[in-house]
Amino acid sequence: MYDEKQMNKESVIQEYHRQIFKKIMVLVICIIGIILFVGLFSLSVYDNITITEAYEIIWNHIIGHEYEPRSRYWWADRYIWNTAMPHVVAAFLAGASLAICGTLMQAIMGNPLADPYSTGISSGACFGAVTAIVVGVSFAGVAGELGIVSNAFIGALIPAGLIILISSKIRMTPATLILLGTAISYFFNSMITYLMVTTDADTLKSAYMWQIGNLDGITWSYIPIMLIITVIGTVFVLFMANKLNVMSLGENSAKSLGIDVQRFRTISLIIMAFMTAAIVAFTGIIGFVGLVAPHLVRLVVGSDNKFVMPISMAVGALLLLIADYAAFLLSNIPVGVIMSIIGSPVFLFLIIYHTRKRGVLY
Amino acid sequence: MITDNVTIKKQYASANRKRVLWIIAFILISGGLFLITLGFGVYKISIIDAISVFFNHILGNPVDPRDDMYVWDTRLPRAIGAIVVGAGLSIAGAVMQNDFKNPLAEPYTMGISSGAFLGATLGIILNISIIPFIPEGSEVVVNAYIFSLIPVGIIVLISKFRKLTPMSMILTGIAVMFLFSSISQILMVTAPSESLADAYSWRVGSLDRVRWSTLPVMVASTVILSILLYFFAKKLNVMYVGDKSVQTLGENPTNIRIITMILASLLTAGIVSYTGTIGFIGLVGPHVARIFVGSNNRYLLPASAAFGAAFILFADTIAKVSGINGLPVGVISSMIGGPLFMWILIKMRKNVWA
Repeated sequence: MYDEKQMNKESVIQEYHRQIFKKIMVLVICIIGIILFVGLFSLSVYDNITITEAYEIIWNHIIGHEYEPRSRYWWADRYIWNTAMPHVVAAFLAGASLAICGTLMQAIMGNPLADPYSTGISSGACFGAVTAIVVGVSFAGVAGELGIVSNAFIGALIPAGLIILISSKIRMTPATLILLGTAISYFFNSMITYLMVTTDADTLKSAYMWQIGNLDGITWSYIPIMLIITVIGTVFVLFMANKLNVMSLGENSAKSLGIDVQRFRTISLIIMAFMTAAIVAFTGIIGFVGLVAPHLVRLVVGSDNKFVMPISMAVGALLLLIADYAAFLLSNIPVGVIMSIIGSPVFLFLIIYHTRKRGVLY
Repeated sequence: MITDNVTIKKQYASANRKRVLWIIAFILISGGLFLITLGFGVYKISIIDAISVFFNHILGNPVDPRDDMYVWDTRLPRAIGAIVVGAGLSIAGAVMQNDFKNPLAEPYTMGISSGAFLGATLGIILNISIIPFIPEGSEVVVNAYIFSLIPVGIIVLISKFRKLTPMSMILTGIAVMFLFSSISQILMVTAPSESLADAYSWRVGSLDRVRWSTLPVMVASTVILSILLYFFAKKLNVMYVGDKSVQTLGENPTNIRIITMILASLLTAGIVSYTGTIGFIGLVGPHVARIFVGSNNRYLLPASAAFGAAFILFADTIAKVSGINGLPVGVISSMIGGPLFMWILIKMRKNVWA
């Protein structure tokens, strides 16, 4: 009797360690994948070097080493640093940021269909960008490429701002919040559609291309804003992971454990609005990753947010990086499209695989 | 004790009477809008004249052929189309929201819209017809219809071999949806600007394409499937309480869910393949109806249908007279409906989803 108990305890501990090991393995695989694709991407812009040389060049650039002008390495350095790296960094930031925002949104809304755009951010951003592209109006009074970016950023904050404003006046359930977001996005979408169907075919095409989302226009000048907002936001969100776990038990349990649910939700919404706006303003609406990366991770490692969040970030970054690499090679196809094509079969497979293994999903 | 029972029964009966009155009110509003919308369009004719043309045509009295052409041949099918679209999509939305106990579910949740759009883009951009030897011009409709049912087909197929929870059904739908829409996006971005514009305007959804020739199939499919779904209203009510309760009553929740999902999908497919993916109403129609009549599907389904019909008739009336040659109805319905829905959410705050 006593022995049996002992055995059970041991096997439980063993199982726990096995689970932790699995989580770490997933994270490690993602990081290795990310590093691998950084190398592959570098090779695709300058193929006169080996992959180890590519890593060496990137490392040397980071530590400030400079090559003799016009040597082979010097050229490689210029190509990699100016063409490949902005892409890579942007893909990494966008993937990680959208994935963690998706996890957060799904947790605070208690809805598996929620994604970073659930409060209407995408439609607001899109409305801003389309206004700049089709009508040529800039909210911030700057022209050209920067006009689109600033319009999209400001536009992205409008729906979230509205929701936060309304929810601070009136007590709202997550379901109402999501419906409110849906109502706002329908409104903005109708304006977008109005602008799109009344414009000429070529303008429609460029507006459509923005809408699908791609990383081709990214240069180093855009990276700092993306980086700063993403890092600050991520730190905040990761600190909230424990509270999120409590939230997932239900609103009442969270309240009884001393969490001001309403305030917590508002703070989360504000952080997410800025994080998502900082990404979509530069990249357009990249879908899929924010919705699916958290699910992919949850299917593999379970639903403890302390693990789901960092691992989702790694998975999201890797997913977007792979898609961006493929998009770069195919030149004509936007990254969002590639990601859906690669990602959805994986997602489908995981759903089917898990329903077989465990009988049910979640 | 007995008196209590009686008062409760009385209260229940009076609440139900109120619900029926709401449904009748919505139907009357739809009827009024149906007549009024005949007077709107590019061709100038007063509302009274248009209505008299309509009744004279029915009674067989002689009417001005020019008026008749516009009112009877163009506007009437469009108005009937509006009723079918509004009613059909709202019913499908109500069933989906009930099946998946998710306020965000809508007729397109299972990927129908992405399938239909892929079929349509194949027809519009590549001129491919899935079924050979069909009459010229109907390939887009047929493509859209067939493709729109593929995602649901996949879900049903998987559910034959695996036990699928509502959650995993929705996620499967999303996976298929992303796959399909990415393929149509590839077609879109590689297409010349003009075909892209055509495909885009198909997706926005419009009642422009509704003619007498397209109505019979649309109306028949909508009416039959709506009636079939109404027979499931009681079972859907139990589903709303929870899968466990359904099991206690000796029914299989997954089977009911799949059957009603298939019916709702057929209903949606029959509409969107003719009109394009008109959004908003399928999601919001049931929510608005729920505010007035509550969640009992025996009242919710007819109320959704009546409200949906009235709303699309109203939106299409405005769509016809805005812009230079009119706008797609989807644009107007979201433009009015978005803020309206927001206002209702804030004002009522009656949480029917708690």
